[in-house]
Parts: sequence; C-alpha cells; structure tokens
Amino acid sequence: METLQHFALLLVGAALVNNILLTRFIGLCPFFGVSNSMDTSLGMAGGVLFVLTLASSVTWVAWNLLLDPLGVGNFLYIPSFILVIAALVQFVEMYLRKAIPALHRSLGIFLPLITTNCAVLATAVESVRPGFFKMGIEYGFGFGEALVYTIGVALGFGIALISFAALRERLEVAPVPEIMRGTPMAFITAGLLSFGYVGLGGLFGL
Amino acid sequence: MDLSLIINAVIALSVIGVAAGAILAAASKRFHVEVDPRVERVLSVLPGANCGACGNPSCFSAAEAMVAGDLAVTACTAGGQAVADGVADALGVEKCVVAAIVSVRHCGGGRAASRRFDYSGVLSCNTVSRLAGGDLTCPAGCFGYGDCARACPFDAIEIDPRGLPVIDLDRCTGCEVCVRECPRGRIGLLAMEPEEGAVVVRCNSHDKPRARKDYCSMCCIACKKCEKACPADAIHVIDLLAVVDHDKCIACGMCVDVCPQECIDLTGRIAFESAVHLDGRGPKVDGFAPSAEEGAALRKGGVDA
Repeated sequence: METLQHFALLLVGAALVNNILLTRFIGLCPFFGVSNSMDTSLGMAGGVLFVLTLASSVTWVAWNLLLDPLGVGNFLYIPSFILVIAALVQFVEMYLRKAIPALHRSLGIFLPLITTNCAVLATAVESVRPGFFKMGIEYGFGFGEALVYTIGVALGFGIALISFAALRERLEVAPVPEIMRGTPMAFITAGLLSFGYVGLGGLFGL
Repeated sequence: MDLSLIINAVIALSVIGVAAGAILAAASKRFHVEVDPRVERVLSVLPGANCGACGNPSCFSAAEAMVAGDLAVTACTAGGQAVADGVADALGVEKCVVAAIVSVRHCGGGRAASRRFDYSGVLSCNTVSRLAGGDLTCPAGCFGYGDCARACPFDAIEIDPRGLPVIDLDRCTGCEVCVRECPRGRIGLLAMEPEEGAVVVRCNSHDKPRARKDYCSMCCIACKKCEKACPADAIHVIDLLAVVDHDKCIACGMCVDVCPQECIDLTGRIAFESAVHLDGRGPKVDGFAPSAEEGAALRKGGVDA
C-alpha cells in the first residue's frame, strides 16, 4: 500500500505539480514549435513518451552500472547521457523504419527533434539524481521509481502540449487583435496556462 | 589530483562510445532498408533548398513524388531547365522545356516615397503592414524593410541604399518564396515574370495619378507616352497603370527613354546584352544613370536593379 501510494504520488507529482513544460519551463521549443495543430502535437507527445521512457531506462542502467561505480558520474553525466540518448534515438529510428514503417512515417520528423530536446536530458538526469534528500541522505531512484517518474514527466508533457494545441486551434479563429495574432497570443496563452499549473503546487498541501 | 579519476572517466566514456558504435553498426546492417536508388539520384539533382514552390514540403518528398510519377519532372521552379533535364536523365524519360520565371519588383519608391508616420519598431514589412496599414502612404508600394531578402532561400535579394529590394537574376530561381513572404505580394508588388522579360514598370498602384503623385515621386502617372512610343505595341496603360506584354516586347528601350517619371526600367540579362538604346551611356536604372563601370557590372551580373 505504502509503495503504491509512493508511486502514485510520484506519477502525479511529475505529471502535474512539477509539469515539465508549464511549471519548470524545460523543453519549450517543441511546446511552441509543434503546437500549431492537434495532429502534430499528438505525434510529438507520443514520441516523447516513447523516447523518454526508453532513454531514461537506458541512462539509469548506464549510471548505476558504469558511471556511479567508477565514481565519475558527478561531472560526466551530461556528455555521457547525451551520447547514450543520441545513439538510442538513432537505433530506434533504424528499428522503426524496418519493423514498423507506418509508425516511422508518423513519428518520422519528431524522433531527431526529440534527440536534442532538453526535456529528455533533464528527465534522464533527474531519474538518477533526483536532488531529493531522505533522512538527510541523498536519495537516488530505483529502476521502478525512475520509470514511473519518467512516464509521469512524459504524460505531463503530453497533457500540456495537447491542451495548448487545442487552445491554439481555437485561437486561430478567435477575434484576436491583428497585432497580437500568432506567436504573441500563443505566449500570453502559455503564460496563463502556466499560472494554472503553478496553482497545482498546493495539491498535496506542500 | 587523483589520476584514477581521469582514467575512470576515459574508461566510462570509451565503454559507452564503443558500445553505442557497435550497436549502431550492427543495427545499420540488420535493419537496412532498401531505398529506391532513383530517389537518391533525383534528390542529388534537385537544388535542396526545400523552398516548397513545387507544393511538396521538402526536396526529398518532391523526389519521391517525381519517382512515383505524381509530380512532373519540370515541377521544380527553383531549378529551372537544368534541373528538369537532370531529373529527366535520372528517371530516363523525355526532356521537356521549362518556361523560366523570375521575381520582379513593381515599385520604384523606396526612400523617394512619402511616409505617413515615423516608424521605429521591428524592421519587418509584415509587422509594419499590420500597424494601421503600414507607414508607407502608397497602398501598393514597397516598405523596404527586407522581409523578402531575409526569406529568399537563394540569397538573391538585397536591400540597396534606395531602400528597395534588388533581385540578382543569376541567383533568382523563381521559387516564389519572396512573393509569398511580401505582405503586398498578392497585389503584385513582387511578381513572377518570364526571365526573358526586358522591361519592367516600377509602379504597382492603380489609384488616381494625382493621388499617386502625392505618395511618391517615382510613380506611373498613366500619361501613355510609353504606349505611343512603343514600336511593337507591347506596352499599354490598363486601369491607370502601364503594363508590358512580354510576348511582343522587343527590348528596344523606347518606353524607358520617354517615361517622364523614370519609372520604367530595362531589366534582365537579355536587355543588357541587346541594349540598343544605350549609345554609350549606362542604362538608366530607377532614375539614376550609373557610371560606365557600374553599368558594365550591372550588365555582366544581370542584376534587376
């Protein structure tokens, strides 16, 4: 029961309270870049969920089997994680192209976009070094925790991106003053959405 | 400084690098997908600017459509004849003739045109055109803030000291990106015209000539002198604006010489090569006569000044 509650809190906390796009402002380029239409943002959200889960499980393994035992993790985690993630995305792209061409065509342009996405690196780093302290001791995620946390982040990314895309599709036909059309209005909308998500910080009375 | 830390770092990164390299090398063999070699060949002929003038989002998808037969081999407006021939070669089909078109500016105002207010915001034509219709008094002229120059994927457009975009016809490929970018492209400020076109009217306004003269000193005043001077019946004042019929035009330059507003220009390679009207002067370009060497440079470069 205790474990279940822990995982549920982790998931909701990662998805809503610490929403990666709207409370922490990481990975904003796809947030504005692909939120023009529902189709592309659905594709991007699916791609991020897919790549993020894979990437942070692989980086968790790399951290716990290689970097941490060798004692070099503290300064080497960014270059090595970038290396791992880039290779992984390349591999996934090759595999999808051969095995599931339909999925490759729909995710096609998003995969390389996600490779260089800061949200992926941030999540991979956090799932091994969450920056949490339990009883005064630095506390690292177990594999299960890292996986749940990552899925939570990806869900939060998807929720924020898709709701924002829905708003932007409505904005296209809304009577916005001409000078505010397009990106300026999108920025203001994102700011208002962000207010809402920051409000979720009080969700657990923290 | 602990030496083992350095060694450990080298080991860690090497292990990750070698493992990733090995996996990727194996994967590229294992998951190899055959791509139609004709797509690659067509793609290598296409310009690769992904300008979208053919209606496809990228040159790659255009190449795929050409191989599949959904897109004509002449569809690449940016590439023109050379690319159409190359694609036809790559696909082993018969060659076709492409009518080359280039972008032409129909405004000679620039700094000579009056402005309704002082604008000091973002220097972009699309931005200023949304501020109460823009700072330019003329509703059809060129703002000169250079959105077309920034949009051009072939670096063919430059804003010159007169505040007007100058199009380098050697580089212009007719991709139409500038026309789509220009806030007044749709009303003909920048327009696509045949590359053979030798004469261009630097005015785009259909307002009453008196009103037009208030906007700008360079405008067409619909005086019909060009129409009377033309030996080939190729220029006519239609709806208060001189319009050139490129099929009839013989590039003699008579209209350029008689125009009291100096708003008709010779343009293009062919005009500068034939240039029967020059008699030793440089060509008159938008109301100023360049020196001998400037004229030679213009003639050589084929610049639509």
